[in-house]
Amino acid sequence: MISTGTDKKWFDEFVLELRLQQVYGSAIGDAVASARELLADTGQSAQEAFGSARDYAASLDLPRAPRFEWVRQALWPTMVSLLALLLFTQAAAAWTQSEPFLVSPAQLILLAAPVFIVAALPLYLAALVRHVWVVVVLVVACGLSGLLSSIVAPTTAADAWLALDPLPWLIGCSVVMVALAIVQTVRSRRPGSNDEIINPLGDPTVDSGRGARLALVLTNWIFPVLALVMLGFVSLFR
Amino acid sequence: MTDTSSDWPSDWLRATLGFLALRALAAGPSYGYAIIGDLETHGFGTIKGGTLYPLLTRYETAGLVVTEWRAGDGGPGRKYFALTDHGREELARLSEHWQSFADTSIRYLDPERPSKETQT
Repeated sequence: MISTGTDKKWFDEFVLELRLQQVYGSAIGDAVASARELLADTGQSAQEAFGSARDYAASLDLPRAPRFEWVRQALWPTMVSLLALLLFTQAAAAWTQSEPFLVSPAQLILLAAPVFIVAALPLYLAALVRHVWVVVVLVVACGLSGLLSSIVAPTTAADAWLALDPLPWLIGCSVVMVALAIVQTVRSRRPGSNDEIINPLGDPTVDSGRGARLALVLTNWIFPVLALVMLGFVSLFR
Repeated sequence: MTDTSSDWPSDWLRATLGFLALRALAAGPSYGYAIIGDLETHGFGTIKGGTLYPLLTRYETAGLVVTEWRAGDGGPGRKYFALTDHGREELARLSEHWQSFADTSIRYLDPERPSKETQT
């Protein structure tokens, strides 16, 4: 059956809701194929046959990963990498100007804000996915904290709480980001680790070709890449 | 097929659809649309996929049915549901209970039944 535009939206929402419930990709593929089978047989729209995608997804008792498995698998590495990137950026600015890495308590608190926002993700993930304004609020909050942390950054060693040698921090943060990127890359290359949505009759329903693999590699290496970009940026404007 | 099918109160169908769906599988493995068609043919109205599939999924989890995907001939693949031994036992148990409940209800509702026996 060829999905109408409305059905495509319904199925997108259905898959998203099942993903939010941590349902395994194979079970999602099975539920999607079952729904498509019935729609092809009856000629009904998805909304007509199954009601709202959200309610239907909630009514299915499908096998799923332990509730906070993704926190261990994805959230913690992301949070640590983000913290490393934020410290790297601050240290890089000091290093390129051959100055000590000056730190004040207010600056540290503002730098920690995006990390806390990411750490609290399990509390508001569903709202984040369902409402664009939540995304906008969080992006603005992270941007503002970054901007404010630059403003309150101490300019002299006398104003600073800590005056550190930036090079060990640059190296340490780089090692953390690269190590986590390697761990995530190795983990994502294990068979079945990506939890793809598998069509029960054979073909994967999602693109698992070169483009998807490249996107996955970029996702795993996003923090080291951003760190390099930031290093180039601060070197350019020193 | 009876003409009263679409008039059944939804509460009644909600209470009975479970073992009716198991009964639809008693003759052999079947798929969603065929189960809906069988129930409709026997006077239960048109059951929606949004009602049937969650039920069958729960039964699969409970081990009452097993599933198997079979490629369609030019059409879509089909997910066949089949009763397990446990499912057959559950169908027999629920059918017997329902029969008993229905008999009790019919006896109670009988207008010829002396109403005095309910008074103390």
